[in-house]
Amino acid sequence: MTELHEHHTAPARTGIRRLTGPGWLRVLWVTPIFFGIGVGLPVLIRWLAHWHPVWKGSVILTVELVTVPLGFLVGIGGFDYWAHYASGRPTVEDDHSSHGAKSWRDYFRVNTDHKVIGIQYVVTTIIFFCIGGLLAMLFRAELAQPGDQYFNPQTFNVLVSNHAALMIFLFVIPAFAGLGNYVIPLMLGAADMAFPRLNALSFWLLPMAGLMLVAGMVTPGGGPSAGWTCYAPLCSHQPLGQVFFNMGVQWAGASSIMTALNFLVTIITMRAPGMTFWRMPLLVWANFTTSLLVVIATPFIAGSQFFVMFDRVLHTHFFEPGGGGYVLGYQHIFWFYSHPAVYIMMLPGFGIISEVIAVMSRKPVFGYRLMALSLMAILVLGFSVWAHHMFVAGMAGWLRVPMMVTSMVIAVPTGIKIFSWLATMWEGRIHFTTPMLFALGFLSMFVIGGLSGIYLASVPIDIHASDTYFIVAHIHYVLFGGSVFTIFAGIYYWFPKMTGRMYDERLGKLHFWLTFIGFNLTFFPMHYIGLQGMPRRVADYAGRFADINLFISIASFGLGASTLVFLYNMAKSWKHGEPAGGNPWRALTLEWQVSSPPPIFNFDEIPQVVGHPYEYGVPGAKHAIFGAPKPEPVGTD
Amino acid sequence: MLRRVRRGSIFQLLGFAAIAAVITSLVAVLVPWLPNPASDEAKRIHFVYWFTTVICIGVFAAVAAVMTYSVIKFRARPDDDSDGAPIHGHTKLEIIWTAIPAVLVTAISIVSAIVLAQNSRTGSHPLVVKVVAVQFAWKFTYPNGKSYGYLTLPKGRHVKLDLTANDVIHSFWSPELSQKQDAVPGQHTSLVITPSRTGTFPVICTELCGLGHALMRSHVTIIPAAKFDTWMKAGGQAASGPPGLAVFQENGCGGCHTLKAAPGANGTIGPDLDKLKQEAARAHQPLAAFIKESILKPSAYIEPGYRDAMPPTLGASIPAGKLTQLVQYLEQSAK
Repeated sequence: MTELHEHHTAPARTGIRRLTGPGWLRVLWVTPIFFGIGVGLPVLIRWLAHWHPVWKGSVILTVELVTVPLGFLVGIGGFDYWAHYASGRPTVEDDHSSHGAKSWRDYFRVNTDHKVIGIQYVVTTIIFFCIGGLLAMLFRAELAQPGDQYFNPQTFNVLVSNHAALMIFLFVIPAFAGLGNYVIPLMLGAADMAFPRLNALSFWLLPMAGLMLVAGMVTPGGGPSAGWTCYAPLCSHQPLGQVFFNMGVQWAGASSIMTALNFLVTIITMRAPGMTFWRMPLLVWANFTTSLLVVIATPFIAGSQFFVMFDRVLHTHFFEPGGGGYVLGYQHIFWFYSHPAVYIMMLPGFGIISEVIAVMSRKPVFGYRLMALSLMAILVLGFSVWAHHMFVAGMAGWLRVPMMVTSMVIAVPTGIKIFSWLATMWEGRIHFTTPMLFALGFLSMFVIGGLSGIYLASVPIDIHASDTYFIVAHIHYVLFGGSVFTIFAGIYYWFPKMTGRMYDERLGKLHFWLTFIGFNLTFFPMHYIGLQGMPRRVADYAGRFADINLFISIASFGLGASTLVFLYNMAKSWKHGEPAGGNPWRALTLEWQVSSPPPIFNFDEIPQVVGHPYEYGVPGAKHAIFGAPKPEPVGTD
Repeated sequence: MLRRVRRGSIFQLLGFAAIAAVITSLVAVLVPWLPNPASDEAKRIHFVYWFTTVICIGVFAAVAAVMTYSVIKFRARPDDDSDGAPIHGHTKLEIIWTAIPAVLVTAISIVSAIVLAQNSRTGSHPLVVKVVAVQFAWKFTYPNGKSYGYLTLPKGRHVKLDLTANDVIHSFWSPELSQKQDAVPGQHTSLVITPSRTGTFPVICTELCGLGHALMRSHVTIIPAAKFDTWMKAGGQAASGPPGLAVFQENGCGGCHTLKAAPGANGTIGPDLDKLKQEAARAHQPLAAFIKESILKPSAYIEPGYRDAMPPTLGASIPAGKLTQLVQYLEQSAK
């Protein structure tokens, strides 16, 4: 394996340098210093200003949730290079000392290799997926019978709120960021992302955010229990744990914005020669549109959570009706992010499915350009539908019909994508591998979720169905049947590329069928109980829903157990799987044209892109050729 | 691409589509998805629901047919390394599947917009009921000034609910009436209901409003219009009863508590007020002081078997004079 760059390895650190160099040892002493600052600063200010009490828990906690993560990031080395540069010390032009992984230890430090970061992301998010799933099984146990069994309403609300928050902010959104991180530079023919150090920083924000949400649950006095939507003014008067939610979302959001920015710059500036926009794989297109959504929309949720925090800590009145605040303002700001967030959680999945269906059907993606344009249409329309979450909220009445129309219209580009995937399979040679099964599972479940979305877009039906279990059913058909199935498809599809080994196909298929059946048994009956009159977010419910809730709970435990098959398969295959080779799927896109796992800088030779990425069945067609004149090696000592 | 589809396969596709349509139609018809409507608005909402369902069954059947057909017909043998036909697109087909869904969703939008407009019409002389939501009770106030913790409506008359909330956001919903509207603090919202069937139906809060959210239930009783007029008059006469009873009714106490002396007070969420004496003994307090404390500081003593669900805002919202009446009334009825 020849390398374009020389690989600087960090000099072995000894003595005191073990403590001052970036890493976990430095975390151990830097974080307490920042903890001290977090306590000292507010106490000092309050003491100087004669504000009583000088020790105020909620204020200190809020400041702590800024300083402690910063301390951790400083300790682990997230800012080292920039600090080095800013302080005027000489920098090595091509310093790759923190690039690449040689042992498992390299996954536990600040690493600038997008392939390492991609795996860090995926593994971290799966851990939070498991925690979020366990929370769901706990509250399903409570819901198996009406009345109170295991949890009081406070704990129940905490479980429900954190299940959603972890799944959305710590699983679906960052899992796509992780897969994109691994695959996008490879698909573009680039050596890495545009900003590798920013990439590393954006990953390390994520476990911080996750720990914050988990810590919020066990805060003395009670965790955040106002739902993941955290509507004001209820959330301004929640127990102390709510601050963890407000701040955790900020850190996850910051991570998300950094990654999106990185994706955008990478996609715009780092495409290999010949890789025009109309030759980019649809996964890249999907992440391009998603990143635009993230960059534009995410600051809005940051704003909404800051205002709530200010209402609580600084006694402002953004959303307090008593002080002239605007209660519905929270919902407008929140949904201006959180509706586009639905597409942030969906479009990368669309990209994955386009890859999987084309490769496994051995056919070009049907209507490639319309597929890319429909992504852009969803991006634009996605910003004009937020108030369909507020049809019963009491907002300006005239807003309902226009928001209904835009919500309906967004079904058109979504429909184009579904029909084009079906047409891609038509006359194909379909190989029913695990990723393809998950892609088909996604297609069928997403059609159901999309159609129940049409019901909810219609204002009169939404008036009946909103805030009931029908909504719970719809969101899970879209985000589980949609997003989670595509994440599984993506993980199975690129597992051979990431690890160099093949997963166990039989276990993969078992995992699919258990998930598919468990999913439908769990969520389909929820449509019924919702329309019949069971509201969501209740620990106790009318006795007539008892039998069906018991059924749903049992099915949900089965669904949860199916994840064990997945985890076992991943762990076993990572260690003992059959060597996969560079291109086990006979795919044309660039990531499959290099070894598995790829060389440290991805391409020993820069590829020259000469054609479209999905020319299956076209005789002699090529996406890229290698062996173009080799550039001079750069970055010598 | 269309030319490639042979006549035989078109019949097979239609067959799959018919099977899928029949199965989904049976699921749609045989399962009683919606509650039996009890208002004109609910009937119209059900119409939109069925209109949408017919369209959705068509779309679902088409997708299911193509998918099933492809999965069966285009399955590759394990040793088959060949590629499929290099079809890149088909402009006519792409226009068709952009246009048809656009037409369908436009149709649903038009029907929905008409029904929404009809369901917002109050008529010329609606009965206006003021609704105040607090954690965790409903208070319904009638034009004659009387307030209740439950709702009584006349069949066949337009009713306009004028909603607001005292603390956080709540949402008024009765599944049989279909209409739903959030009650927002600092703001008034409205909802139109035209009851079409007599009976008693649940009223529930559907917006997460705190610890007692699941328990924030009441009911709506629909009675014939003539009976309703008598009821309204009788409500006026009830003022001759003990003044504390009126305060009890106004604040919806009966939604959570049972008190035999107060008609309609049969809630089981909070402690039984007919056993106040024993409860005060368990709390080691004189009866009157115990009652007052339990209203103003509900968390101070929690009766075993019940939870700390009563909001302190409830007691704080009752004026001092009325509070004294309420305490006296409860003390007397407990003796």
